[in-house]
Amino acid sequence: MNITKERFIAINKYLILAAIFIYLIGVFTPVKYLQPGLIFVFGAGFFCLLHIQYFCCRLKHAAHIWMFPLIMTIVSFGVPLSKEPGVNNILFYIVTLLLSITPFLLFMFGRTDEKPGKKERLPIVSFRTVVQTAFFMGWASVTSFAFIKGTRPDLFFWAMFHVATVALFPFLFGRVICSWICPNATMQDALFKNMDYKRPIEKLPQAIEEQSRTSAMNISGVVDKKAPYLPFTLLLCWFPLFFTETVFDLTKIAWYPVVFMYGLIILSPLFPWRKMCTHFCWLSSYRALAGHNSLWRIRFNKSKCKDCKVCHAEEVCPFYIDIRNQDNEMPASCCLCFSCMEACPFDGVLTFRRAPEEKERLRALGSSA
Amino acid sequence: MASNYTTPLARWARFLEIFIPGYMFGKSWGIATDVTVDLYRATFPPFLIDAAEYLKGMLHTTNENLERLVATSAGAVVGFLVIVVLAIVMHFVLRDRKYIDSLRFTSVTLIPLAVMNGTLSHLTNTLLESLGGGESVEALTKSALEGPRGQIIMFLVFYITSIWMLGGRTGVKRWRRWGVIAIGIGFMVTYFACGLMITTGEWEVLLPKLQAALAAH
Repeated sequence: MNITKERFIAINKYLILAAIFIYLIGVFTPVKYLQPGLIFVFGAGFFCLLHIQYFCCRLKHAAHIWMFPLIMTIVSFGVPLSKEPGVNNILFYIVTLLLSITPFLLFMFGRTDEKPGKKERLPIVSFRTVVQTAFFMGWASVTSFAFIKGTRPDLFFWAMFHVATVALFPFLFGRVICSWICPNATMQDALFKNMDYKRPIEKLPQAIEEQSRTSAMNISGVVDKKAPYLPFTLLLCWFPLFFTETVFDLTKIAWYPVVFMYGLIILSPLFPWRKMCTHFCWLSSYRALAGHNSLWRIRFNKSKCKDCKVCHAEEVCPFYIDIRNQDNEMPASCCLCFSCMEACPFDGVLTFRRAPEEKERLRALGSSA
Repeated sequence: MASNYTTPLARWARFLEIFIPGYMFGKSWGIATDVTVDLYRATFPPFLIDAAEYLKGMLHTTNENLERLVATSAGAVVGFLVIVVLAIVMHFVLRDRKYIDSLRFTSVTLIPLAVMNGTLSHLTNTLLESLGGGESVEALTKSALEGPRGQIIMFLVFYITSIWMLGGRTGVKRWRRWGVIAIGIGFMVTYFACGLMITTGEWEVLLPKLQAALAAH
């Protein structure tokens, strides 16, 4: 069977959708049953979709990735996650086995005419996709455990998530949570981005669209000495998270973090890719604000930029930031996904360290951030 | 670039950037109850708790959610006022811009201390739960006096770093950048001098009071 790029995407996409369906039935209905292999189906599917360019021309490598869920499903036959111990739902087992063996066989024995891309993937982007996939699998595991067993290990997950993303990361790396850890980001990057359907809210009102353009244009450095600002709609989303949490004492209600995350995942497909994160994410609003103070950002060496427009905001950046409008570094709304750095065909334009001539240029302008 | 401020949403974004850190900074001061108010007075500067309590007293309600709304809002108002005053001091150094921009600078850089206040309030509640759970006096004393120390140091480092970084990013030049750092350090020293963190003397007075209050409840 010839597996084109489109077919490769479709196979992974529909398998993940089927796995989500099985997961939701197993966890949120009275069935209360989950085969651990299903979590690995998510992992393999997301990982393949996050590396489409690499895997669609190396099908055997993709088959090796799909071996993990297959092995895990076989190994975990006797140890399913169920409310009552000793219960074995053979139907769920067969479905999970089919979900893992189908792509494995297709990719192992399929052939492709796709050619590898000219540009290799940046190691840090590969590492990010591994972290993304691992966090999604972790989140899916603890949530299923919580709802099936009735105990709440996910509260520990959320507590750690909260400590890391409120107290630590925003001051070190800004909005890094939005591309490395958030389960909704993984869903969007891997799944929703590759789904061709007409979004119910295809275009946002002009005033809302414009705010991200202006914030992308004027946030950092000497371009705007007055101070940065973020999209108003995003900042407004801080209220449902912190304000209602305090006023209605939501922290005592166990299902509240689950509802908040599932709410995001349900609403995100209504908008184009990542528009939800850019304009309406209540989990990200505070992080973006605190990110103004972040210690570390991607540096932009403007003097080396050839203005080739390959890093075009609409296609490359999840947050629609036009890097060429920045004067010395990425703005607070940047999520450190390194997609722009990967897209840039020239060395030294987007870097971890500022070039000496750029330091001179900024010193002359009077800024040294 | 000034034209960017002309869009209405951008103006409101600027307002929220000032308001949200103010709310976060002060809300912990308003959430004390009859049982916990003494503990909060010991943890935070007492006059700030008293100011929030005074505002809460003006809008008394019996609805639990509304009461929490009033309590956090009262704390937020006090927090916002502190930021306004601190911004006046900052503005002596940041005279190259409008006061509203100095205010925004002050507000955004204060986020680490706002998170610190939230953490301290959380630790205070944990302390009360431990007290109710029958933990030994030695363990309680240790967690009250030494528990928050590490986190406070971390957030103070973040605060100074925030001032330095945002100073650079918003074009605060040469001596002014050291000036805003000096004001930040001065603010922290004042905050501690006014009574941040529980002292040994305060704890010795507070512990029997809390035990009696919890027993009565």
